[in-house]
Amino acid sequence: MASELNVDIRKRHAGGPQIAAALRVPLGAHFVMVLFGPSGAGKTTVLRAIAGLDRPDAGIIRCGDEIWYDATTGVHMPPQKRRVGYLSQDYALFPHLTVRRNVAYGAPAAMPGDLLARFGLANLADRYPGQLSGGQLQRVALARALAAEPRLLLLDEPLSALDAPLRLRLRTDLRQLLESVEVPAILVTHDRTEALALGDSIAIMIGGRLRQAGPVESVFDSPADADVAEAVGVETISPARVISRSAGLMTVEIGPARLVAVDADDPGELRDQVFACIRAESVMIERAGSANLTSARNHLPARIALVVAEGPLERVVLDCGFKLTAMVTRQSADEMRLREGDQVVAVVKATAIRIVRR
Amino acid sequence: MEWQAIWLSLRLSFWTTLILLALGLPAAHWLTYSPRRWKFLAEALVALPLVLPPTVLGFYILVAIGPHSPAGRLYATLTGGMLPFSFQGLLVASVIYSLPFAVQPFAASFAAVDRRLIEASWCLGISRPATFFRVIVPLSIPGIVTGMILSFAHTLGEFGVVLMVGGNLPGVTRTVSIAIYDDAQALDYTAAWHTSLLLLGISFAVLAATYGLRRKAWAVWPAYGQ
Repeated sequence: MASELNVDIRKRHAGGPQIAAALRVPLGAHFVMVLFGPSGAGKTTVLRAIAGLDRPDAGIIRCGDEIWYDATTGVHMPPQKRRVGYLSQDYALFPHLTVRRNVAYGAPAAMPGDLLARFGLANLADRYPGQLSGGQLQRVALARALAAEPRLLLLDEPLSALDAPLRLRLRTDLRQLLESVEVPAILVTHDRTEALALGDSIAIMIGGRLRQAGPVESVFDSPADADVAEAVGVETISPARVISRSAGLMTVEIGPARLVAVDADDPGELRDQVFACIRAESVMIERAGSANLTSARNHLPARIALVVAEGPLERVVLDCGFKLTAMVTRQSADEMRLREGDQVVAVVKATAIRIVRR
Repeated sequence: MEWQAIWLSLRLSFWTTLILLALGLPAAHWLTYSPRRWKFLAEALVALPLVLPPTVLGFYILVAIGPHSPAGRLYATLTGGMLPFSFQGLLVASVIYSLPFAVQPFAASFAAVDRRLIEASWCLGISRPATFFRVIVPLSIPGIVTGMILSFAHTLGEFGVVLMVGGNLPGVTRTVSIAIYDDAQALDYTAAWHTSLLLLGISFAVLAATYGLRRKAWAVWPAYGQ
């Protein structure tokens, strides 16, 4: 039987929201589960409860055959016995110890010298944490956690303490490291690209509750409700009304506009009042009157309300009776001479519209 | 020069500091990390010698360790001696009198240790007592040194408690501050002048060493050392 971490806890901090989370993490080699959500959603609390640093108010935490926490029997295994590698946001390296002694701190046997080499720390071994850069600190913290031979890694916003260019580079490094060490990990982040780059599966936490869990792509493509859609960064989330449904398709009305969308996997869960979620990169813009024949089901007359540059892309907010955000490249925007106030046609495929319950 | 009194005071200060190190570290640890709500009462108790007149403290200690008290009787059965008007009695009084000078700097430096470092140590499988000695104590060295030096200097200069508990037995309980008082009372101003000057010199040297040592202790942190 494959062993797994099973968490089902409730906890309320004084003055904070009730936090309730139930999740299962397979303890197979290099499996990374991302705990994703806006700040204050309770992600860190869940991580600290798994590490044994915070005691939940109720529930159970089980790791394989071991009970780590059980409210009914009062079992609360101390963090020392859980063999969990916990990386806090600022890495918490011991300032009075060299890199070598930091890494060896929790190691059961003699100093694992190859660990230093593997993390590219061999020539930094005699430095103190105060003499290292952000990326080096992160590697030392990871090496220190792994030297103690954990069976699970908990990473709390591992890249948030770094500045933007470094964060980008270390994201790739971190993924490779996590794959090479063969220890499953739970990683907390509120950054979408981090979640996509690092996670195998994802659990979305909003307002203290776990809202959706599953493979990263499927959760990002098919959010279960409007809150999750907002959390994963879907640009357009509009209240809509179902007009008709047939043959796996549905027609919804958003203000004056009518759109054809693919029906939900489980049609029974949807009532008349729904939300339509549309990602900006699935919205195309055509000049009015160009009348190309396309396979897309939805052609909406629209007025350009706003054009904002975002790096190599332009964010175009369209008014089609409701606000619809499109993302186009700078070149396209220049060639089409998109200006605020222009009349255009927004083109959206039926498959790009995700309908969720309201 | 009152060499006998000076030597006695130095011995008393040395042993007081050593005992306060042994008692003060666990006491400060408990005061810093205990989740008990009523620990403020213990904090107030530890700080009491700061505000209580030394004669009041000395009087209570004298009664508490007297031959008719439980502590006095226990000491008598164990050693056959008596605590009041003995060096050991003086030591007990000094430890109590200087308690806040050791415990407060210890506790302040423990509280300044980043909690995340302590938790990191726990998660690496290191027990609470081992974490205390491997993380908390090394990061609190400046505060521990300060507490020890303050205890030493404070014991060196104490007067009221010593007089109440120890009296004035040359070579046993006649400390340097009592010797100065005696000399001044006997109008031997030259002797009082010499001894006072020596005490002033020792006190200043001890404090200068504290601040010098503290700077050196911080130098292990590269940000401060370079």
